[in-house]
Amino acid sequence: MKILIAEDEIALQHSICTYLEKDGNVCETASDFEEATYKVSLYDYDVIVLDINLLTGSGLDVLKTIKNERKRAGVVIISANNSLTDKLEGLDLGADDYITKPFHLAELNSRIKAVLRRGKFGGDEMIIFNEIKIDTKSRTVYSNDTLIALTRKEYDLLLFFITNKGRVLSKEIIAEHLWGDDSDLLDNFDFIYVHINNLRKKLTKEGASYIKTAYGSGYKFIED
Amino acid sequence: MLVSTVILYFYVRGLLQEEVEEELYSTEARIESVLKEKGPPYTLPPIVEIESVAAPGPEILKDTVLFDPSQDEMEDFRELTTYKNIQGKIYRITVRNLIVESEDILIAIVISYLIIIFLVFISLFYFNRAINKKIWDPFFKNLEQMKRFSLASEKEIQLLDSDILEFTELNKEIITLTEKVRSDYKNLKQFTEDVSHEMQTPLAIIQAKIENVINENTLNENQYEQFTSIQKDIKRLTQLNKRLTLLTKIDNRQFGNVEKVRITNLVKDSVQNFSEPFPVSIEYASHNEIIVSMDPYLAEILCSNLISNAIKHTKTREAIKIRAEGRTLTITNQGEEAIKHPDQLYSRFYRESSKTNSTGLGLAIVKKICDLYGYKISYDYKEGWHIFEIKFI
Repeated sequence: MKILIAEDEIALQHSICTYLEKDGNVCETASDFEEATYKVSLYDYDVIVLDINLLTGSGLDVLKTIKNERKRAGVVIISANNSLTDKLEGLDLGADDYITKPFHLAELNSRIKAVLRRGKFGGDEMIIFNEIKIDTKSRTVYSNDTLIALTRKEYDLLLFFITNKGRVLSKEIIAEHLWGDDSDLLDNFDFIYVHINNLRKKLTKEGASYIKTAYGSGYKFIED
Repeated sequence: MLVSTVILYFYVRGLLQEEVEEELYSTEARIESVLKEKGPPYTLPPIVEIESVAAPGPEILKDTVLFDPSQDEMEDFRELTTYKNIQGKIYRITVRNLIVESEDILIAIVISYLIIIFLVFISLFYFNRAINKKIWDPFFKNLEQMKRFSLASEKEIQLLDSDILEFTELNKEIITLTEKVRSDYKNLKQFTEDVSHEMQTPLAIIQAKIENVINENTLNENQYEQFTSIQKDIKRLTQLNKRLTLLTKIDNRQFGNVEKVRITNLVKDSVQNFSEPFPVSIEYASHNEIIVSMDPYLAEILCSNLISNAIKHTKTREAIKIRAEGRTLTITNQGEEAIKHPDQLYSRFYRESSKTNSTGLGLAIVKKICDLYGYKISYDYKEGWHIFEIKFI
């Protein structure tokens, strides 16, 4: 996949690229408004990660350019501004998702993948990982064509693991992905074990034991 | 006033006396001429008395009190007694005249004074009132404007002009002052927004870098623990930032979007959302629907903050009870002891426990939202239960 990162903070730009390139994506970067406008009108991307507050202009104007030129790229807005109006404005202009800084790269990655999956940008609604097949439209999971019955959270968890396969995911990141801001109420994240263990058991029963422990308390979805 | 009354009294009395004496002399002269012409005297007591006497005496002018049969009371008289030798006979002629009593003069003066004062007072009162009304009218209108002046509103203060120099100057100063306050307030607001805004990007960089380091797979377990701990702190900072921004935004009245919101449904959703990850049970009983007009986003925050507060502070495994009845939403959770300083319950960063997962802003936000819409929130502690009650009025 070809991804453009339009972000004026070079350090953040690099970190996002490093994370996304591990999946074999091609990342290009734009560090200011002019470069971003220039690149989106000249090249085709699958996904554009767009910062609203670019140094010399607004990301929303870049978004308008993308939509005016009928580019098929999916757009994920990243913004330091947590205001609802900004979010709505971005989504109204045709952005596919909106994520507020600071965010986990795993979360950004899963949003990007979701945007790609929604089909209209040439993605696939089916995710296949060895014998595991996920139909994201009907939210069903198969292992070698046997249906695995998962709860809503287990399904979200599996999707999160697969989109971030090979990455270490801490309990905090998982909790935040599943429960959003409310997860900060928790004293400990022990309840995550319950969900992960249930998912693990269900997968292992079908011979798919990919969820591994990393560093003692983190998790990793990886092939043996 | 008093002095003038006294002076006037003596002056009037003197005048009257002089007049009376003059009259007495002229009456006496007339009697004398009558006596000369007609001879036999006549009397008209007590006004005129004529008597033949043996020897003449001195002329006497005096005040006397006599009984006046016509008035049937004792009266003050001025009396002139003269002795005249007419055609060889000596007559004593006594003429008297009623004089106005001093009391009467005094009363007359005082009454007329009082009437004058009263009239002057009344006319001055109305006159002053009319004038004052005209003069102070702009002042009071401006005062009303100042009372209504709100920092949060974008509107400038509108003052009426006045012809009076002092008021014009006052207006000028008020306008300068409010402009300065408004601009300072705006700067402060901007500063708060900017600070929380500017903090997000560095936090995002730290977060992203940590995640990449973790994924390099070169860490040991201990280092990993350190990094996840840093991530927790970043999360705390982020939450703090978000809530402070929210508080500022409510203060700035940036939530003007008012819709009909079903509070009972929101609570139900919140309960569902919370029930999964948390090892506490929530009993929710709604007797009727509560529908309010408010910003839907704030309504959501109101419900979730109250419930999360209960979850955070519940001490035992006893269920959290939520009840909706009439226009009142009650949330109770068990706790070992009452809040030590209930008056500070809604203050920013007030915490009774040293739990680190609390930003200390949740209830401050709840209170702000309630204040914004005029809802009444109350806290009570009864038999081991913390009770929060919101009346949507």
